[in-house]
This record gives sequence, structure tokens and C-alpha cells, in this order.
Amino acid sequence: MTDLLATSPDTWRDRTLDPPVIPPELHPPVDASPAERNRALWARHDLRRQRAEDVYDASRNPVRGWPVSGNRAVLAFFRDLLTSRKGMFAALVAFNALAAATGLVVPRLLGELVNTTVDGGGLPLDTLALAIVGVVLLQAAFTFIAQRTSTIFGQDLLSTAREYIVRTILRLPLGAVESASTGDLVTRVTRDVGTMSRSVQYGLPMAIISLLTVVLSIGAMLLNSVVLAVPALLTFATSAPAVRRYLRRAPKGYITEGATYSRINTTLTETVEGARTLEALGLSGERVRAGDDDIEVSAQAERYGMTLRNVLFTALNFAFQTPRVITLLVGAYAYTRGWVDLGQITAAVLYVEALGDPLDRLIGEVDRLQVGAASTSRLLGIAEVRPDREAGDRLPDGTDLVGDDLRFAYRKGHDVLHGVDLRLGVGERLAIVGPSGSGKSTLGRLLSGINRPRTGSASVGGVELVDLPLEVLRTEVALVTQEHHVFIGSVRDNIVLAREGSDDDAVREALRAVGSLLWVERLPQGLDTVIGSGRYSLTPAQAQQVALARLIIADPHTLVLDEATSLIDPRTARTLEGSMNNLLEGRTVVAIAHRLHTAHDADRIAVVIDGRIVELGSHHELVELDGEYAALWRAWTS
Amino acid sequence: MQDFPPRIATFFSGTSDAPTPDPDTRSPAAFLRWMLRQQWQVIVLSSLACLLWLMPLTFGPYIFGRAVDDGILGGSTADLLTWAGVMLGVVIVGGVFGVVFHTLVVRSWLISLYGTTQMVTRKIAQMGHVLPRRSPTGEVLSVASSDSDEFGALTEILARSAAQLVSYLTVAAIVLSMSWQLGVLVLVAAPVLLGAALPLLRPLHRRQQTERSRNSELTSMATDIVAGLRILRGIGGEETFGRNYAVQSQSARRAGVSSGIWQAAVEAVGVLLSGIFLVSLVWLGTRQVNAGELSVGQLVSFLGYGLFMVGPIRTFFELAQKSTRALVSARRAIAIFEQRPPWREPADPVPLDGRAEIVDDLSGFTAHPGLLTVVVSAVPEQSAALADRLGRYLPPDTDPVGEDDADGLKGRAARRARADRERRRARIAARDEEAATRAWGVRLGGVDLSAARLDDVRRQVLVSDTGSGLFAGTLQDAIDPHGRLTREQAEEALRIANAEDVYDALPEGWQGQLDERGRGLSGGQRQRVVLARALAVDAPILVLVEPTSAVDAHTEARIAARVSDLRRGRTTVVCTVSPLWLHHADRVVLLRDGIVVADGEHADLLEHDADYRSVVVRSLDDHDELGEGVPR
Ligand SMILES: Nc1ncnc2c1ncn2[C@@H]1O[C@H](COP(=O)(O)OP(=O)(O)OP(=O)(O)O)[C@@H](O)[C@H]1O
Ligand SMILES: [Mg+2]
Repeated sequence: MTDLLATSPDTWRDRTLDPPVIPPELHPPVDASPAERNRALWARHDLRRQRAEDVYDASRNPVRGWPVSGNRAVLAFFRDLLTSRKGMFAALVAFNALAAATGLVVPRLLGELVNTTVDGGGLPLDTLALAIVGVVLLQAAFTFIAQRTSTIFGQDLLSTAREYIVRTILRLPLGAVESASTGDLVTRVTRDVGTMSRSVQYGLPMAIISLLTVVLSIGAMLLNSVVLAVPALLTFATSAPAVRRYLRRAPKGYITEGATYSRINTTLTETVEGARTLEALGLSGERVRAGDDDIEVSAQAERYGMTLRNVLFTALNFAFQTPRVITLLVGAYAYTRGWVDLGQITAAVLYVEALGDPLDRLIGEVDRLQVGAASTSRLLGIAEVRPDREAGDRLPDGTDLVGDDLRFAYRKGHDVLHGVDLRLGVGERLAIVGPSGSGKSTLGRLLSGINRPRTGSASVGGVELVDLPLEVLRTEVALVTQEHHVFIGSVRDNIVLAREGSDDDAVREALRAVGSLLWVERLPQGLDTVIGSGRYSLTPAQAQQVALARLIIADPHTLVLDEATSLIDPRTARTLEGSMNNLLEGRTVVAIAHRLHTAHDADRIAVVIDGRIVELGSHHELVELDGEYAALWRAWTS
Repeated sequence: MQDFPPRIATFFSGTSDAPTPDPDTRSPAAFLRWMLRQQWQVIVLSSLACLLWLMPLTFGPYIFGRAVDDGILGGSTADLLTWAGVMLGVVIVGGVFGVVFHTLVVRSWLISLYGTTQMVTRKIAQMGHVLPRRSPTGEVLSVASSDSDEFGALTEILARSAAQLVSYLTVAAIVLSMSWQLGVLVLVAAPVLLGAALPLLRPLHRRQQTERSRNSELTSMATDIVAGLRILRGIGGEETFGRNYAVQSQSARRAGVSSGIWQAAVEAVGVLLSGIFLVSLVWLGTRQVNAGELSVGQLVSFLGYGLFMVGPIRTFFELAQKSTRALVSARRAIAIFEQRPPWREPADPVPLDGRAEIVDDLSGFTAHPGLLTVVVSAVPEQSAALADRLGRYLPPDTDPVGEDDADGLKGRAARRARADRERRRARIAARDEEAATRAWGVRLGGVDLSAARLDDVRRQVLVSDTGSGLFAGTLQDAIDPHGRLTREQAEEALRIANAEDVYDALPEGWQGQLDERGRGLSGGQRQRVVLARALAVDAPILVLVEPTSAVDAHTEARIAARVSDLRRGRTTVVCTVSPLWLHHADRVVLLRDGIVVADGEHADLLEHDADYRSVVVRSLDDHDELGEGVPR
């Protein structure tokens, strides 16, 4: 036998040489001159940008885990959402514009008031004051209507978006679901949906409102006095390059931030779930350090975003604050020339000042939208997982399951199955046994249509399993593995998944078959007891029974049970298998098991070694044959 | 001054130093105060920076008014330029400090956010297996991932409100210096405006609470869907779950709309009131100008300030809302942070000797030093319970207390539900503590485990139960998580656990990546890696619960032989009914109802004890297998 560990010296790593989580260049220098510190700051910023770009590139096409979609997909997504709500959107814009416009009349009236006060001309004071009151009332009314519209619009958009995401998740290709990590997906449906909802709910309407206010203010400024408006507007424009650069860089920065939070969450989830293991092995310290490392990396991503924003703010502050001074100076000059009156200057200054607020908000909202867009692209990334099958239109003719020359590789070039042929008789009980890691579960996955074989075919009634529409596939074959999950919901909800209409009798029957009726009836509310995470919790053995009961309700003609009873004690398990078999009369069952009583009770046994079926026959035949199975049986019963 | 990420040593220091004092968990408000105190310098500095950032707003109208009076109307270019210069200075200071403010706010926000996450991690490290008994995983995670954000938001709004308050008072002082009537108007306005809006805030708050609880329900549904996705995609139920989610999403939407409409009302009232305020200010102002008590420039300043008032008022609204949110989050955080480990370290701990005999009083079980003892029980839970006792773990028999269905309950009912939950949690804690502080009932070398330090117990007795799983990382990290093995030792561990094929299956060898929970390995491979990890720790007493339930008989036989060989001379307890282990057992113990009813050698028991036979003999009393299935 070759030494499987031959390469061990080459791949073992000396941990003292592990690079630090973040390169030392990302730490600010200690005792350096201000100039050096400044240079180091920008060097760090560049390095962080590089890291952000690397993360972004990696996440567009990840080796493992879920992808992130591009900007175009995000834009298209929101465009679709908006175009299907044209009327609502128009109302939103119209009411907000009205609210903003009435708000803008106020400074103009105030300017008028100053004029009246200074030279006594124009409208009488009391009339003006009344006019302002009227305008303010209108503004309040419009504000209410506009905000109400925004809320309804935003909430509608949001609920549509999140329902779409969940529907997408519920349609993820079977193969991808089986192999990808859940931690990242959970972060996406929690944190990213949260961020997206904040940006859709507040960000989008607010950005629209602020933008409208800004545009209308600029219009009002021009109406008030072109001379006063133009210099201010030109200064505003100086911020354009900084804004453009920010908009180009921010998305990658925010996607990187999102990825670091995913990582923090994933590590933390593992820590919570493995709390006992960590305690037993004395690993708590290591784990705390791992969490701190994640946070360290995340902090670098945050620092990148912070510097990006600071650069933007510097440019914006200059562009939007200096017009106060400019307007004052230009105003004074124009006044001496008689081009403008004092009222116009006042109004212009009030506009410039009043512009500060919506502009600040606009920037804040654009930033929030960027964060939201980053989250959205992480969410839409889920939709980019390519389907692993294309449902054909042929339906199976018959219920016989046939595997022919099945080969499969998880990694290119490393087949774990090497041409397996298997023909299952209808109503047959087949047991698959063999050494650990020999490819039994893989075979089970091919036989239940979860993965497409690399070569060969796994078919039912003459049709490839992976070419069947999923709804059809499920009525044909179902797979239950050791991995179980109890949904938050009543016992009944947990069992009737596959057939919603099932009545309580059927549920009880299924529970009885898996030996669970007794404990279920002892629960506080029987079938209605709410179980699942954070509710009444089941033992692993009970959870496994629930999984089997689900399968009985689903009632496909072929069942693949991959160690589906391994968490239940052997004696009970055997009884359970017996009673299930009675109930499943006429159904084909493939049972993968290390407990050979399952094999003993089966019609036929397939022995899988190194990805090949080396023996196939009944218990007696194989014992007779005195080959691998006989040896295994002897060892097991020794 | 603190920076992010913060250095946290609460609950668990990771070194020999004692952890820093626990947070104040007496009440949500006390907790928030404690948290703010941790970084008061940052918050104070950021409100100062915010104050300076607000300078153009605070002084702009005044400067402009002076420029109008002295410069434009007074016709003095020098004065005009002076005031323009002052304005420029103010604008520049404001711009610079805007950036400083942003930097500090990010800092304080992230100190809270990361700090909370770090505290959660440390709490888990401190509590170990006890925490999941009391709080469901989802709740622990949501404190770290979403409540932490509310704390960050609180630091920001606090700094901003403080600055706005000072700035508001400054404005009032400026106006007061020009005209006392108007000054009083400004001073009175903000409280009056806030007071007028307060009645609207209460129903708004209630609606927001409903919205939040619907949303968190939605989040937990989505998490549940993702966690069970394999089953949903495999067996079906996408329809139901998709529909349930949509129903909940719609109900969250309705709650959102209803709270949004109230929000709109609050905003509109804000616009109305500040508008009315503006009008009164202006009307009064013009009268005063006409009466000659006020200059035109001063009137212009007032107009500016009239518009300015919106800022502070909006900020104070925000403060009211965000602090209630932070209080709700604080309550959730406290539910995690206030948990105390049930253990009390003995005053003068007795050092344990792992080479001595270990005895469990409850079951009457004894593991003789240096021997391999196999515990056989028809009910696996009972031998697992024995293993837990030997390792000083609390039994896994409680239901954690969740934040369940408080939705729909209002006022008193919600409070009652909360109190009820707290009582239940306290009851579990009291029971844990009761069990953890009295004599444990397991003696190692005559010393009750409760007389020794807990970490000493963990060092002497390693229990690898069926829940032991792998963490994401390289194979090397999985076998050698502490980083203290040599390569040879790690190879040895792999060999003993017969897991060399795992090494071989990964192209990068030791650096091959394992995903969360060892996904990417076969079931048996996972179990063997876990076993290799436990063996590599080389604990004086090793307790293995069903260590080979997922592997085939040949592999199991090899592992049993190698493990018994490796552990020769050190105490080892294996809970299993597999004959393959029993062959290698120095001693076998049979449990019935959790009590030792027989012990001795496998062969003896097999011969004389019918009970024992019925549990361990696998040959299926069939007719034709004589010769094959007869036990040796
Ligand atoms: N998701 C995966 N990604 C990559 N490799 C995998 C994956 N699942 C299994 N493998 C590899 O494929 C081979 C066969 O695994 P499989 O799970 O089919 O074995 P098995 O016969 O079911 O073993 P066991 O009895 O231990 O469950 C193993 O070498 C395993 O490392
Ligand atoms: Mg398997």
C-alpha cells in the first residue's frame, strides 16, 4: 500500500511563519514626522483599495461560496422595479416636487419682506406674513402627502424585492445548495436584506426628495438672480470629479465591507454552535482570536470606506460652503452697481444656506444607496448561480431506477466514482455498504438526481433524473441524509412539507411508522407544538424521526436513505426500519448504512469500494461468496 | 483615546490576567450608560468636532447680517471684506471639522459595533456549553450582528445632539443679544415644538415597535429557510415556505406603511410648527425694524436662524427614536451578557491527577487507571449522560428560552410575557448553578471534581461527544487547532484515526480547506478527523462517545485496535455497543437505566449475562448463519 501521507512534509506549514492577518504596512507608523505620516496614510489607502479590488474580483467568481453580481444587474433590477410602478413613482416625484417647491417659495417671500422693510415699497408686511403662513400650511400638507406616498412606495418596493430574493433562494439549484456554505447565505438574507431595506425604504425616497430640492433650489436661485446664482453654481460644479471618483470606488469598498461582515458572522455562528467542542478542547482562546482577526480585517475595509468618504466630504465642503462667501461678495458688488436689491441677496444667501441641508442629506443618501447597492449585488449574486439542470419535457415511463456507467468528480480530475452500473427493481430494498469515503453517499446523490454524473446516466423510467422538473423528480426519488433541520413551526408543518393538504390522520400514521407518535402526543400541544430553533427543541434522534416522517408523507416511489437512522439507537432503528418497510410496501428503498442489520434485512446488497461496486447480491449470496461483504459481516458481528 | 477595533477583555481575557469588569446589566439604561462610558473621550471629542462643523450654520447668519449692515448698507468695503473673511474662516473651520467629525463618528460607531461582537464571542468563550442551554443561537447572533449596530447609531446621535444643543443655545444667545423678545422666542420655540410633537411620537413609537418585531420575525423566517434549504429543495415545501414568507413580508409591509404614515405626520407637523415659528420670528422682527429697534442686517440674520431651527429639532426627534431603539437592543444584549457561569471556583482548589481512578457516584461507574473501559448501554443517551458527568458538563436537557411571539401583545401583556421569559431563564440558571456548585459526584483520585478548578478538569478529562464538529479551516488547523503539534505527531494522529485518506483526498494536503462543519468530507471522514483531533490532545483521561458510528466495520476495527494501543497506560472510556471496541476493552461496564448493573471482561459478560448479550450481540438470530455470525 502506498503511503498516503508521502507529501506531508511538503504541505505541513510552520505556523511561526504565518503572515499576520493584516500586513504590517497597514498599521500607521509610530513616531514619524507629520509628512511621513501623511505619506503613509495615502500609501495605506492605496493598499486598502488594492485589497478591496481583490476581494471584489474574487467575489465576482468565487472558488467556493456564493457570487456577487455586477453593477449592471443591480441597476436593471431596480429599473424593473421602478418601471412596474410608474404611476406610483410619478406621484412620488410630483408630490415631493410640490413639497420642495412650496418650501422654496418661503425664502423668496422673506427676501420680499426685507425689501418692504428696507424701502417700504412692495407688498404690505401683514399681507406678506399671511402669504408665508399660507405657503407654510401648503408645504406641511404636501410634505405629509409626499412622505406618505414615499412610504407606501418604498415599502412596496422593499417587500417585492425581499420576496423576490427569498423566491430566488428557494429556487437555487439543488447541487449548489448541497455543497455551498450556509453562513454567507444567512448573512446575506439577514444583514444584506437589512441594509437593502434601509436604502430602499429611506434612501431611495430621500435621495429623490433631496435631489428634487437641490434641483428646484438651483432653479429658484436662478429665478431669484442670475448674477448671484452663477458663481455659486460654478463652485458647486468643482466637486464633480471628486464625486465621480467616489462613485467609481465606493461600490467595491462596500462590497468588501459586506464580505468582511459575512466572515465575522460565519465565524461567530461556528463559535456559538461549537461552544461545547471549544470548551472541551480548550480552544476558546483561539476562537476569540479568530473572531478578533476577522474584525481586524473588517476594520481595514471600514477604514478604506472612511477615507473615501473623507476625501469626498473635503471636496464637497469646499464646493458647497464657499458659495456663502462668494454670494456675499458678488452680492455686495452687484448691489453697489444696482443690479440686485437687498431682498435678492438675502434670498440668495438663504438658498445657499438652505441648500446645505438637502445636499448633506443627498450625499448621505447616495452613500446609503451605495451601501444598499453593494448589499443588493450580494443578494442578486445568489440569482447568478447557474442552474445545474435544464428541465426537459419527457416524463418517466415506469418507475425503475437505473444507473449506468456513473462517474463523478467533486474536483476536476479526481473521480470518486469509477463507472458504477446499478439497476433497481421496483419495490426492491437495496443496501449500499462499503468503507468510509468510498463514494456511497455520492452514489446516493446521483441516484436521487441531486448531482449530474460526469459521465453515464442515472435515469428513472428512461429519463435522466437531472432532466426532470424538480416537482416531478420529488415524486420519483427522495433523499434523506444524516443532516437534519427542524423548521420553526408546528410539528405538523414540519412533516407535511411535501404534501401540504395532508390530514392529521396521515401525519399520525407517518409518525407512528417512525416510532414518534408517543413523544409527539406527549408534547404540550401535540401536533401543534411549535418546534425549531429557539422554540421547543428536539433531540437529534427525534429530529431524524421527523425527517423520516416527512419522507413518508412525500411518498416518492424510490427512497434513498443515507444513514438516515444513524443517530437513533441500533435497536430502535431496526424496529423503525421494519415498521417503515411495512408502510412503504411496494416502494423502492436504497439504504446506505454501516449498521449491517440494514444490509441483512435488504433484498440485495451493493458493496462499494473505491468508487466501484465490487459485489452485488443478497446477504446469503454474498456471505456464501465469502468476499468483501462476508469479511465485513464477520467483522461487524464479531 | 480608544480606536477601532477596540481592545476588549470583558468576560474572557484569553491570558492569565483577570477579565476586565463586567458590563452593568442591571437595566437596559444602565447597560447603555456603561457602554458609552467605555468610550466617553471619543464621544465628547466627536461632539466637539460636530460643534465646530456646525459653525457656519451657527454663525453664518450673524456674519451675513453684519456684512449687510456694515458692508452693504453701510457702504464700507473694508468691513465687507472683513466679514467675508470671517465667513471664509468659519467655513474652512467647519469643513475641516466636518471631516474630523466623520472620522470620530465612524470610530465611535465601530467601537460599539465591534466591541459588542467581541463581547459576544468572549461571553461564549466564558460560558462554553452552558450558554446554548439558555439562549437560542439566533438570539446570540442577532445581538452581535444587529443590536450592535443600534449601539453604534446611539453614539453618533448622542454626539450630534449634544453639539446641536450647544449650537442652538449659542444661536439663542446671539439672537438674545440683539433683541430680547426674539431671543426668548427662539429659546422657547424648540421645547414648545418638541412638546407639541411628542404626543405624536408615542403612537409612532408603538407602530415602529410592531414593525420591528414583524421584521425580526421575517429575518428569523429567512434564516430558517436558508438553514433548512437542503430539505426544502430535496423534499419540497418551497411553496409553503415561500408563501409564509410572503405573508409575513406583507404584514411587515403593512406595519411599515402604518408607521411610515405616522412618521409623515410627525414630519409634516414639524414643517408646520417650524414654519409658524419662522413667521412669528419674521413678523416680530419686521415690527422691530420699523420701530427702529433692530437693523436690517439683524433681521436678515433672524431669517437665517429661522431656517436653522429645523436642524436641532430634527436631531432631537432622531435622538428620541434612536435611544428607544437602543434600549430595546440593550435589553436583548443584557439577556446574553448577564448570564453568569454557574461554576464557582473553589477557594483552595485541589490539583487533579489524571493517572488516578475516576468514579461516578450516581451510576456507580469506575474507570480504572490506565485501562480502556467500554460503557455499554441499550439507550445511548444514558451512556452519553455518564460521559457528560465524567467531564463535568451540565446535562443537555433544557430548552433555551427564546424571544418568542411577543408580537401582537401590547403594554401589559408584552411586559408579562417578558417577565415570564426572564423567570424561565432565571429558573434554568438557578438549576444549573445548583448542580454546578454542590459536590459533583464524580471523583478523580478521591477528589470531587467540584473541588478542582474547572480548567484543570478540562485538561485532565477530555470528552469528545457526538456533537463535536469541525470548524472551517485547513486540515492542519483541524487536527492541530492549538498549533502545538509537530508534523510527526499530527501524522500519527491521522494514522491512529485511520484518516490518512482525508489527507490524500485534499490536493493541498495539510493546507486543504475544510468548509464549515467539515462539509466536503464524507460523513465517516469527518468523524475520523474529529477523533484524530481528540487523540492528538493527548489528555490523561479520554472519554469518547460513539467515536466510530459513521464508519464501516473494517475501519472501526482498525481504529479500535490502534486507539487501544495508543492509549495503553492512560485511562480511556468509550461509550459504544460495538463488539469491535469490546474486543479491545480491558473492562466492560453495562448500564441499565443509567446505573452500572454489571462489569467485567467482554468474554465473561457475553457468556454469563443475558442482558449484556442482548445489547451487544449483532448476529441476527437467523437460521443459516452459524459459522458466520456466532460471537466469538
Ligand atoms: N462535497 C464534497 N466536496 C469534495 N469532495 C467530497 C465531497 N463530498 C465527498 N467528497 C469526497 O468524495 C469521496 C467520497 O465521499 P462519499 O461521501 O461519497 O463517501 P461515503 O462512501 O459516503 O463515506 P462515509 O461512509 O464516510 O459516509 C471522499 O473522498 C470525500 O472526501
Ligand atoms: Mg456517506
